[in-house]
Order: sequence, then C-alpha cells, then structure tokens
Amino acid sequence: MAEQTRIEQLDLAVQALLDRPEAPLPAPADAELAALVRLAADLRDLPGTGFKARLKTDLQRRAEMASKPVPVPKPAPAATPYLCVRDAAAAIEFYKKAFGAIELGRLVQPDGKIPHAEIQVGGATIMLADELPEYGFDSPQSLGGSPMKVHLFFDDVDALVQQAVAAGAKITRPVKDEFYGHREGQLCDPFGYTWIVSTQKEALTFAEIERRFNALMQQEGTPPAAKRPVREGFHTVTPYLVVDRPAEFLAFIKQAFGAEETFRAPGSAGGTHVELRIGDSMIMAGGAPGHPAAPVAIHLYVPDADSVYHRAIAAGAASFYEPMDMPYGDREGGVKDGFGNNWYIATHKATGHLREGLRTVTPTLHPRGADSLMDFLKRGLGAEEESCERLPDGTIAHASVRIGDSVLEIGEARGPIEPTTAMLLLYVPDVDAAYQRAVAAGGVSIELPANQPYGERRAGVKDSHGNSWYFSAPIARAAK
Amino acid sequence: MLLESPRGEPGLPAPGHQQDERLLVEAAQADPRRFAALYDLHFERIYAYVARRVGSRAEAEDLTSDVFHQALANLQRFEWRGAPFAAWLYRIAANAIADHWRRTAREQGNPTAGEPSATSDTGLEEFELRARLFRLVGELPADQQRVVEMRFVEGKSIREMALELGRTEGAIKQLQFRALGNLRAHE
Repeated sequence: MAEQTRIEQLDLAVQALLDRPEAPLPAPADAELAALVRLAADLRDLPGTGFKARLKTDLQRRAEMASKPVPVPKPAPAATPYLCVRDAAAAIEFYKKAFGAIELGRLVQPDGKIPHAEIQVGGATIMLADELPEYGFDSPQSLGGSPMKVHLFFDDVDALVQQAVAAGAKITRPVKDEFYGHREGQLCDPFGYTWIVSTQKEALTFAEIERRFNALMQQEGTPPAAKRPVREGFHTVTPYLVVDRPAEFLAFIKQAFGAEETFRAPGSAGGTHVELRIGDSMIMAGGAPGHPAAPVAIHLYVPDADSVYHRAIAAGAASFYEPMDMPYGDREGGVKDGFGNNWYIATHKATGHLREGLRTVTPTLHPRGADSLMDFLKRGLGAEEESCERLPDGTIAHASVRIGDSVLEIGEARGPIEPTTAMLLLYVPDVDAAYQRAVAAGGVSIELPANQPYGERRAGVKDSHGNSWYFSAPIARAAK
Repeated sequence: MLLESPRGEPGLPAPGHQQDERLLVEAAQADPRRFAALYDLHFERIYAYVARRVGSRAEAEDLTSDVFHQALANLQRFEWRGAPFAAWLYRIAANAIADHWRRTAREQGNPTAGEPSATSDTGLEEFELRARLFRLVGELPADQQRVVEMRFVEGKSIREMALELGRTEGAIKQLQFRALGNLRAHE
C-alpha cells in the first residue's frame, strides 16, 4: 500500500474514533495500520500538557503553604553543650566563620534577643542563647569566665585553628601531637568559651593511653604545675599607688608600715616604679612630680593596730580616727598619708592579726554610687560578691568582692570619706580576654593589649568612677 | 530521533527504583515541597486510571487533581511497608472515582447506582502501559507532539490544525502518521 494511502486511511480511522467514541474501533485489514488505530484510541485519554503543568503548580503552591519547616531531628544520644553568650547573633556568625558551623535555626524575641538557637559543627549540635539573667542564663562575660570546655574533632585541626584565629579566636594552647593520639590545641572565643580542638591521629584504647600516660609520668616525675598566671610573690590584685612625690611617699610607708622595697625601675610613664612588700602582700608605687595622683584606701591588717597607727602618725600621717573597737570585731584606726591615700589600720581581735580571707593589704574603693561600681566589678572583672552591708538609705556602707585570690572592699564615698580613683593591677590568665570583658562591661580603653619589654602582656581600662584597671600576664615563652 | 527517555524505561518503575522512590517519599514527608518529584513520577498512571473510568476529560482532570491533592495532604499517613507508592495512589484514585459516581448518582436521583462499567477487577497493567504511552508522547519531536496534543487532547480537526500551524492538511496528516508510527515503534 502506498504510504500516501496509509496516511489517509489512518486519518479516516482516527477521525471516526474521535467522532464516535462509543462505536467499536475501526479495524483496518492492514495489521500495522490496525495497531496504529488502537494506539490512537488510547491517545483519546492522553492528558493535556497544560493540565499536567497547572496541577503541578497548584500542588506546589499548596505544598508551600502546608510546608512546615523540616522537623527538628530527634536528638542523638549525646550531651549537647548549651552556651549562654552575650550577643548570640554575633556568636552564631563567629562560629560559622571559625568552625564552619551551620545554623539549624533560631528564635528571636521582640526585643531582638535570641532565647534559643541551634547550630551544627561537624555534625554535632550545639545549642546557644543570649544571656537572660532573669531566667538564670548568665554568660561567661558576666560570670568572669567558664570552667567548661567543649571538645570538637575536626579532620584537619591545623587548618581549623587558622580559620578560627582569622575569625577572632585566640590560641590558648598551640596545636601539637599529644600522647593520647590526638593532634590538639585549645582556643578561646570572644564570648568567653574555651574549645579543645583535635584531629585523631591514632585510635587508641584507654588502656594504651593510660600506659603512655604512666610512662610519661615516670619520665617527668610529677606533672608540671599549671602555669600560675600571677607573678611569683604577687596575688591577683595589686594596688598601684600613684603619688606626685614618690621619694617622700616611699620614706613614709617604709617608716610607717615597715614596707620593704623589692624592686625599683624607671616608670613606663616617667618617674619611678617601685614594688614593695608589706607583710604578706605586695603593693606598687610610682609617679613623678606633677603626675596626677590615683588615691586609694588600704585596709591594712597588722598584729597591733594601735602601735602601727602611732607609727604612721609619727611618720607624718594625719589621724583620721583613733584606734577603737569596731562592731565587726576589729580594733581599727585610720590615717590620711598626705599623698591622698587613706589607711585603715586594723587587728582582728579573734585572731590577733588577720581577718579570715584577708591579707595584710586589701585595697578599698570609695566611689560615689557604689552600686554601679559593684556592677562593673562583677560584669567587667568577674568579681564575686562576698558581702554587702547597706545603710538605711540603701547606699553601700561596706561590701567585699573576690577577684581571683584577692579581695577588694567597697564603701560609698560620703562625708569625710572622699572618692578614690585608684589604680589597680590584676594578674589574669588572658589579658586580651580580660580587657575585652572589661570594655564590654562599659570600661573605657586606656591601653590596648600589648607586650611590655619587661616580659608581661598588659592592657588597661578605666571604669566610670575613674579607677584604672591594668591587666597583666607573663608572656609565654616561645617553645624551643 | 529523540525517543530515548532520559530515565530509561518510562512508566513502570523497575525493581531497583524502590529504594530511590522510598527516598523521594521520605523527602516529601519531611518537606512537602519535595512532592513534585513524586507527582512527576506518577501523574500519567493516575490520569490514565481515572480517565478510563469517567466520562469526560473535565471529570478526569478534576478527579486526578483531587487524587494528588489528597495524596499531598495525607502524605504523612503513608507508611512504607514494601508496597509501591503507586499502589497507595491507585487506592486514593479508586476511592475518589467511587465517590464521584455515588455523587453523580445522587445528583441524578438514583442513589443505588454506582460506577456504570465497574472495571475494578481489571489489572493495573493496562494503566501502566497507557502511562508509558503518554510519557512516550512527551519524547516525540516537537511538531509531532504538538499534532498529537491538538488532535487527541484539544480534539481539533485536520483543517483547524493546518490553519493554526500554517501547514498543509497533508503535512498534518503525515505528522500524525509519523507520530503514531514512532509511538508504535517504542511501545
């Protein structure tokens, strides 16, 4: 059959089955043609491409509306760290940059605070939130650090540390191979958390790790003492008495309080820098003629308050109040030293010398508005309140806070007690972190963190009451 | 000639597709926006099944639409027990068709009447084959595809098509012939 004829025959059959759908199918004698007609009959049910596309669009629109976010996966059996940070949004961005974190989601309150967020680092979930003190959520920046460290494994810890440092993390322990099979380092983030980051180099049993540990211990004797951030002979807080007549002042405190000079050098701001021991404490003093003084009050515990009081008067101090028995169990007298400083000379009667928890020298600050200073001490310096007694009008008569191994006392400036603008030196484990925390709490930078020629890293801030706080730490020696 | 489907066999899912399909279903259950992939996979067979059992194209489209909307809305209820997803869709379609006929019967005042020529005992192979044919149409060269769509979906005459496409009636008939021949060759 000529093709032309077949084309025409097929079309006739197609036209017939379209025109009369109920009629029996046309059945051409030609078997091949008959097969085409059967196909044509089936094609009467062919769906329209327009309909298929429209329905798909409809379904997609419906799915979009019904689309709930991917359900939060059931937590794996693992302990999930929950980090409280000041500025969770910034922390999330930081962890993305530093650790390649993926944000799983966040809740945002109308005030912009994030009460809950989840990120994933290398498959591990980490939860975090803004600090919300009203719910008992405090950040390391408020608490003065966190003892909790989070351990993360990465494929390439060296690359990770580079990336984290570029994002603003600080190395607190450089990466090296450890006996327990990890290549490992430690980082501190700007939010006060410490991260141990590792790459597993060897998969070891605990027994093998223990064997290596014991061998190391035998080799080295006792484990090396953790490096004390505080300089030998010092405590966390050292008052720095800035006076305009340093030579006269040194003569006075040596004569009055038996201070013993341990070190003298030209001061970094000119004048003289002197370090002195009084009893179990160290103070620093310095200054130059015309140099603005930084007056402070010193609570001084001695075995015999009366005799020291009289020695101070003899050395040139003016009496502030005569020694008397105080309701808090101390015998105490006060002098003004003529250089702007008050000395509260006390003997705790129960012990015959020191009050428990205090040393020979305890710096005492007299701000106007002691509550706001207390707030800065806590948030900016990580101080812990130990006691706080208030006058009937609500002002703070006497409070004490602990910073590291030292105590500071605070009492509202009033009447004859003039405001102090002290200078204090704090030995801290991490100068940069301490500086950042103090600035974050409202401290004004007076010295950026920098290494000093005398082997310490130092930074300074001034609080809103005019007190200067210098953070210092010995510079770690480069590993050889 | 462009007749090879990129997926290989259009229509019937091969046994190896089970695992893939399971992943698609689970993805869509987690995120309904992923349902489109399942729709693409199953549209033709459900349409073929529905179209065979209702009187008009409009009804076929309405019911097919119902079936997929129901499937999307109830996707969470689908549990993978080894039966293919298509079986679940066929069941939804069968119920939708039954409802359709009951509704039609009530509207016509004949509440006992059901589907006129109930073909529930018919095997599903027929619809699988037809779905395959419908997919093959999508693989035809564009001009043949257009002619098939105009002729069988839009119900146009050879004359109307010739005018619309700017070809002779002979050319249109030839395209129709070639198209059916191609489909036959790959059936």
